[in-house]
Amino acid sequence: DGLKSLETFMQNTHSAQAEFTQEVTAPSKNGQAPRVKTSSGSFAFERPGQFRFDYKKPFVQTIVADGKTLWLYDADLNQVTERAQAKALGSTPAALLASAPNLQALTKDFTLESAPEQDGLQWVHATPKAKDGQLQSVRVGLRGEQLAALEILDSFGQRSMIRFDKVQANAALPASTFDFKVPQGADVLKQ
Amino acid sequence: CALPPRTAVSTNAPDLWSGRMALTVEGDAGQSFSGLFVLEGGPEHGNLALSTPLGTVLAALRWAPGHAELRSSHGVQTADSLDALLRDALGSTIPIQALFAWLRGDAATAADWQADLSQINDGRLTAVRAQPLPRATLRIALDH
Repeated sequence: DGLKSLETFMQNTHSAQAEFTQEVTAPSKNGQAPRVKTSSGSFAFERPGQFRFDYKKPFVQTIVADGKTLWLYDADLNQVTERAQAKALGSTPAALLASAPNLQALTKDFTLESAPEQDGLQWVHATPKAKDGQLQSVRVGLRGEQLAALEILDSFGQRSMIRFDKVQANAALPASTFDFKVPQGADVLKQ
Repeated sequence: CALPPRTAVSTNAPDLWSGRMALTVEGDAGQSFSGLFVLEGGPEHGNLALSTPLGTVLAALRWAPGHAELRSSHGVQTADSLDALLRDALGSTIPIQALFAWLRGDAATAADWQADLSQINDGRLTAVRAQPLPRATLRIALDH
């Protein structure tokens, strides 16, 4: 079942590299067809607490969590946003993936329950315990014991589905993978 | 100087703009923000949604004559005008009325703000409010 797969994933997969495709569906208003925005890039994580999303298409945007600080860099705007990871991660989906060392740690921030199998994946439904957060729910999809999908429904009804493929589990990641260096001349915004 | 003719930007129908927006207010991170945005409508009726790259909405702003509403993780704030609401919520205001004109490449004026439309055909816009302090810079990169 979903919870068993998630627990095995968290125990056996200490780090991973993968490609991802993300589809964000805005809540449809007064009958209009909902707008879908697609983006893609590469993803890596290492427990505890380190991960990065490198968006490549349609624009370059980098999110790096180095264990202490969450960095977000937008190449076109040449701007870096820096935020304490503890503040940002408590109820964000990334906590599910990387920073939580095990299932019990996850239950601090989320109520977890197995959800029915769908698209050939085992699913776990996670509801944030913090009521004021931006998230309604997160679903983690696993193929066997490997991460396959992450579906985020926020409190505005916007849905983001991230699908992972070419997942290399326990890949030896270079030490600098999660070091973020502020690019020359970029504006840094501490939040 | 005459502005070069506006090339049609595929995803941006006349009253729908999407891309990334960053407002940097010097020395005041509280008023600053950055994210993906979708701007719809016009100065009279419209809405602006700001999201994180991972797809979660940070804030949704809606306005119509006599009413403006901002929904964010802090709850719902309302006011009887867009400017009043932005001043309450952000402590300063973003020139949303002028923004619609700038995005079409029209050099509209907005009190205190200077807009650089030289790269608007590549979907890039920068506007600066030098006075009153603190200095604020609004940067936009439109989706192609």
